[in-house]
Amino acid sequence: MGLRVKGFAVGGKSWWSIKDLSLDVRPGVLHMVLGERDTGKTALLEALAGMRREERGSISIGEGEHEATVADRQRRVRLVPQECGPTQLTVSERLLLARPPRWLGIAIHRRRGEEQAKSLAARVGLESLLDVPVEALRPLERRLVEIAAAVGEQPALLALDEPTSELGPHEARQLFAILAAIVDQDKIPVVYTSTWPRDAYPGAAAVTILRRGEAPETVLTAKVTESALIERWTGGQMRRAPTGPHTPGDALMRVEDLVIEGRGRETSLAGVSFEVKASEVLAVVGAPADGLSLLHDVLLGHRAPKRGSIQFLGKELVHSPRRHRVEAGISFVNPPVARDQSLREFSVEENLILGQTHRGPFAKRGWLKFDSIHGNAVRSLSDFEVPDARPRDRLGSLGLGARQRVVIAREVLRNPVLLVARSPAQGLGLEAQEYVRKTLVLQCERGSGLLWLTEDPEEALRVADRLAVLAAGRLVWIPVTEILTREMIIDEMAGTAA
Amino acid sequence: MMPGRVRGGRTALLFNVLAFLALAVGTQVVARGSVPWNPAAWAAPWSGDLVLVTASFLFLGLGFLMPLHAGVLNLGIHAQFLVGFAVAAAITRAEAIDPSTRAGLALLAGALAGSLAGAAMIWLRSRFAVHEVLSGLLLGGAMVPVARALSVTPTTPPALTFELTTLLAPLQWAPDLGLGHHFVLAWGILLLSLGVLLAFVFARFLRASVSGFDLRIVGVNPLAAGAAGIDVDRIQLWTLAAGGACAGLTGALQLWTQPAVALERWPLPMAFAGVTIALYGLGSVRGVIVAAALFAVWLNAPGTLAVLQVPGWGAAVALLLVLPALWNLPRLLPDQGAPRSLWRTRHRETY
Repeated sequence: MGLRVKGFAVGGKSWWSIKDLSLDVRPGVLHMVLGERDTGKTALLEALAGMRREERGSISIGEGEHEATVADRQRRVRLVPQECGPTQLTVSERLLLARPPRWLGIAIHRRRGEEQAKSLAARVGLESLLDVPVEALRPLERRLVEIAAAVGEQPALLALDEPTSELGPHEARQLFAILAAIVDQDKIPVVYTSTWPRDAYPGAAAVTILRRGEAPETVLTAKVTESALIERWTGGQMRRAPTGPHTPGDALMRVEDLVIEGRGRETSLAGVSFEVKASEVLAVVGAPADGLSLLHDVLLGHRAPKRGSIQFLGKELVHSPRRHRVEAGISFVNPPVARDQSLREFSVEENLILGQTHRGPFAKRGWLKFDSIHGNAVRSLSDFEVPDARPRDRLGSLGLGARQRVVIAREVLRNPVLLVARSPAQGLGLEAQEYVRKTLVLQCERGSGLLWLTEDPEEALRVADRLAVLAAGRLVWIPVTEILTREMIIDEMAGTAA
Repeated sequence: MMPGRVRGGRTALLFNVLAFLALAVGTQVVARGSVPWNPAAWAAPWSGDLVLVTASFLFLGLGFLMPLHAGVLNLGIHAQFLVGFAVAAAITRAEAIDPSTRAGLALLAGALAGSLAGAAMIWLRSRFAVHEVLSGLLLGGAMVPVARALSVTPTTPPALTFELTTLLAPLQWAPDLGLGHHFVLAWGILLLSLGVLLAFVFARFLRASVSGFDLRIVGVNPLAAGAAGIDVDRIQLWTLAAGGACAGLTGALQLWTQPAVALERWPLPMAFAGVTIALYGLGSVRGVIVAAALFAVWLNAPGTLAVLQVPGWGAAVALLLVLPALWNLPRLLPDQGAPRSLWRTRHRETY
């Protein structure tokens, strides 16, 4: 027996509580926990690892039917969190951190340590990177190092918290292929969480779906297809793009020959050029480490490129700070969990005027106009259908979807010339995802240009008028046609397209 | 986060109250153990020192609170305090300056010097990536011998021309208020009024002005502030300069306020009282006013001085004075990433 959970409940008073969860995971099998953010996925893994006490239920690990105590779980379960561990260590040091081989129990046995690290790294295909600092690795490599380090401790259960959150789909497949081979060999049961149904295929044997306020449901992947899984999760089918193709207008932004060096083993941008026109959606798909994060940083003004230009309405912006870009008419919508676009400690109405107080209508002669601010919030919450939110509520008290609606309301109401959206629906439930896409594309129909940067090919397919894949630091343009599929885009991302 | 609200939540408030009660009650219990209980000590006229110490605490509290609202931990408050003291002391000795203007000029120069010391900390950060905590503490350490040199050979400071002569008679509303220090008391009342006014102006500024809104955003989330087009460094520079001015002014005042009486009782370097007041006040303006008054009463209460003179008890009191940092600072400071950002800031790429 691997892992058996019966009648499990945690977080009873929280809004993400899990109730009556039961699951069985056999040794050597992958089990995925699917759910949008704030549904208790991490709490479940923490409880499995003995870092949080369950309120009800029993957890058995390994042989026998006896219940594993918290101390047992702390000793026998390894949890790999979303945030990578000590990144300043080299791969070799990180792999040996938990259990370094000792000489007479006092000093580290160097030779045996090197052999042990090499053998662990070889299991995840990183034996050539033993002396590289972890912070210089690509996200996929960092994740593999953490998995190798956890496996090296020979756990009775491996728990991974959103291991694909920073990966492109082709990288996620690679990760699961390596993981499946390791756990099959070592007969370790694995539970991992994700917000993407695609991560269940082809590796996971079963998926437990967590929904806020509802009982968990477990389905076998052998019996449901990915689209059926999505339907089970959301209660409906994913819709295609909210509107048809658009007629592009004049060019708003021209990016030419952008060259920027990646950090560590991140792929550099090697001469990226594109233009975004009014009333069109240009989607750029790529893994964060394949240049997508670099491109986003350059567009935000966080990093200056080595070469190239960014012209917006004929004006060079490549060395302008972000605030000049915003003042010129560019709006940015980042992933819902991004910390730079909202203030959880502030009220909803304050968040709705962020960055707009230096001219009317929300301020006059240096003083805030509270009536205007409140009125704006009342209208925005109604127009953008933010459920159960009041203007003076603290933003942090709202769910992730509602928070993202507030951000989108603010950015759309500015009526920007160009909207740059980076994975704006990542981690949201399907209804919220569709709302985000619909709202942003509608703004495009009002005449704004929309540059959509995403690591999710499915999302790009839903919104793109034109589509480019960022692979090996260059853009590969793909015509958006009826026959274009997600697999074709993933093949381009992985560099395996015919 | 609205100014005037309890920023740390009810739990932090409860812990602060418990810590203060432990301090106040504990001091009296220990004092009774060593000195026989003497009710007459409580009935004796309270010194005008109470007003003065409250004013000093209030200014020092504001000196720490203002930068705190912009996300800056002003541990250079002692440096600003000492710079203010040193500059004011130098001016009072300058015979080239007209004696009638020397006093006012010394106060102004002290505030200005404290302000410049605060600004220098932000300049060091932006120019050489030296964190303000490190530069503030080092500057404070460097100023100690300077201030000591100026205080071992005290000079008679020029008279402050302002004097409320009517206060020489007993006050009707507080007949027991001793007026032995009437000169000091008059200035204390004026300063206390100024401090309270400044606190309320600052609260209003935070709540209702565009710049105050920007300042609050910087204090809560510098990343979002930078993204919203707010110049984070400029706001932090101004708030640290304002906080430095408050600390510098308090430092300059030490020339006239008999530090041996009012200040040397404090078991830590005096200016760090600002940290205690701001943290016991939960980082809110109202809280700072209340905390300044409570601590001034505690410091002037019979028995406190006797307890502080015992090294062991003095250390215990010092511990209670800094203890609220444990549960208040994590709530009050914005999350700026890795712990090593305490010492270097250059790796922060996003603002």
